[in-house]
Amino acid sequence: MTAFVQHVLDALSVGSTYALLALGLTLVFSVMNLINFAYGLLLVWAGYAACVLVDAGLPFALVVPLCVLFVTALSMAMGRVAFRPFIGAPPITLLITSFGVLLIIQYVAILIFGEKPRVLNAPDFLTGVIAAGGLRVPVLQVVTIASGAVVVAAFYGLLHRTPFGAQLRAAAESPRTARLMGIRPDRVLMIAFAISGAIAGIVGLLWFTKVGAVTPRSDMEPTLKAFIAIVLGGLGRTSGAMLGGLALGGIEVAMNVVLPSGAITYAQAIVFAVVIALLVLRPGGLSGARTEAA
Amino acid sequence: MMLRLALRTDSPPGLLGRLGATAGALLAAGVVTLLGGLLFMAPTMAEIVLLFGINAILVIGFQVFVGNTGIVSFGHVAFMAVGAYAGGIAAMPVLDKEITLPDLPGPLAGFAVGFVPALLIGGGAAALLALLTGPALMRLSGAAASIATLGLLIIVSNVLAQATPLTRGPQSLFSVPENTTFAGVYISLAAMVALSAWFKWSGAGLRARAVRDQPAAAEAAGVSVLRARLWAFVLSAFITGVAGALYAQLLTAFSPGSFYIPQLVLVVAMAIVGGIGGISGALLGTAVVTVLNELLRRVESGVSVAGVDVHAPSGISFAALGVALILMLRWRPAGLLGAAEVQFEARPPVPADDGPARPAGAVPPVTTGRSPAEG
Repeated sequence: MTAFVQHVLDALSVGSTYALLALGLTLVFSVMNLINFAYGLLLVWAGYAACVLVDAGLPFALVVPLCVLFVTALSMAMGRVAFRPFIGAPPITLLITSFGVLLIIQYVAILIFGEKPRVLNAPDFLTGVIAAGGLRVPVLQVVTIASGAVVVAAFYGLLHRTPFGAQLRAAAESPRTARLMGIRPDRVLMIAFAISGAIAGIVGLLWFTKVGAVTPRSDMEPTLKAFIAIVLGGLGRTSGAMLGGLALGGIEVAMNVVLPSGAITYAQAIVFAVVIALLVLRPGGLSGARTEAA
Repeated sequence: MMLRLALRTDSPPGLLGRLGATAGALLAAGVVTLLGGLLFMAPTMAEIVLLFGINAILVIGFQVFVGNTGIVSFGHVAFMAVGAYAGGIAAMPVLDKEITLPDLPGPLAGFAVGFVPALLIGGGAAALLALLTGPALMRLSGAAASIATLGLLIIVSNVLAQATPLTRGPQSLFSVPENTTFAGVYISLAAMVALSAWFKWSGAGLRARAVRDQPAAAEAAGVSVLRARLWAFVLSAFITGVAGALYAQLLTAFSPGSFYIPQLVLVVAMAIVGGIGGISGALLGTAVVTVLNELLRRVESGVSVAGVDVHAPSGISFAALGVALILMLRWRPAGLLGAAEVQFEARPPVPADDGPARPAGAVPPVTTGRSPAEG
């Protein structure tokens, strides 16, 4: 029983990380059909910012908001310089543009920090373990699940209770009508990049606190997980992104538990095969209809 | 009858036109081969010229799928990997196999083939993988399909890195014979170019592009979306697999890491810069990116750099590729050549009564008409 609860907690914490990743990625997708390959690099930059600030001796309570602010600004800068000129371009063009952006921002990270991993010295309380009954729950896991819940709540509040959110939803649903109603697409895009960046900042901190070190090439794994999560959940729907993230976390943890030790090295391949099989059954994703998504 | 060379995007009429289009693509490959041959004389350029030829085949393979179906595939590097491993292991002498791969299953350990069969085995293995995965992957469209093909790359990479008896796992596989020669690469290039040009103007190719441009209309006209995409996928996997087998027999040692994101970046950049719509564009893009890469590499390291892998992750060249990609997409999204192809046109000296008259003598030999629908 305790083992089962432990696995559920694992799945929830991994899943909520993926859900947040997917949320940040899908937000920009819903506004301009951009699947952003450079998204994982925002996390990497959050990690590096945290490394630098912690090493400079700042208290962690100050490091977190500064990192989130920095990545939000970076995300907006990226959107403004690289993606805004492409508003209305076909999705393929956008996808490959983001590939180019990835190469450039990654190079900047390599230039500044080098290829070697840089250790992130997280404060002690985050690396502790809570022992309750037979359970041993890492503090980071609790923090991850809690941040997931808080961010999602804040996100929905923003999306449904503020004018920014109304503009975002309008632009995502019907760009033409939104334009006619006086909503400027470039402004909406900047809002989307800002929120997406803030989420990336939070996930980046959680991700690299868990991993322990940052390299300029640590971006691929989070990017891939976010991609899989949004496709699994159904492209362009925020609820789908979160569902996809949680489902992916669940599948990964389940694979680690269920697979025999001989097959465990193939876990990644099997997870992807399962995801592709799910997509074949439901091309519109878990949250979508059985017909193909547009 | 007179023959004329043209740069055009529309489909040539009839069998003669198809032959002319194939001949035109072969001519483009011939020009590339001639330039490659001249550079090959220079002592430090040999490996670069060979890698260029292999990359050209790789980009042609990528183009056959992406250009004809409109789906950006991130999985083609997986076909290259499968081609390299299948072709490399097939070509390895039996005695070397006992040392490098002692746990290879019996039937595989007992034989070794020559250069050309190894290429066919590499291409065949990749095509088989495409045939098996295609019916699932080709159901998806747009971004979902791109991400699913990326999933294929990750699956293949993971399996290659773990199937130690077959591949030596994450360690590098070595003692593949160094069979790849200038003639081997460039004859393969010509064959693959002819194959893809022939496919492009075949019924299957036309159906694939019909599905790309008007999926609903194509389906209503009785074209199976799945099958139309599947043939393009299988053929492109075959071509990519052949490139992989050539690559294996050029480098003689490689690991699953050789076929991952950096190689993918290179292929995508070459295809996009040249123009994803056509074979001529693929050749031009490969040439431009190779030259750019080599220049930057020289700037970076100062002096001669013979013997370095093209996909080695060196900083500045990748950042420059990023800049080149963005600039291209911003100002010339269809690539340098768009969907235009070099074609031979065979037209009777007196214009026939079909369509608007285009007197043969009055038209300049090279036209750069580009239809907005293509690319």
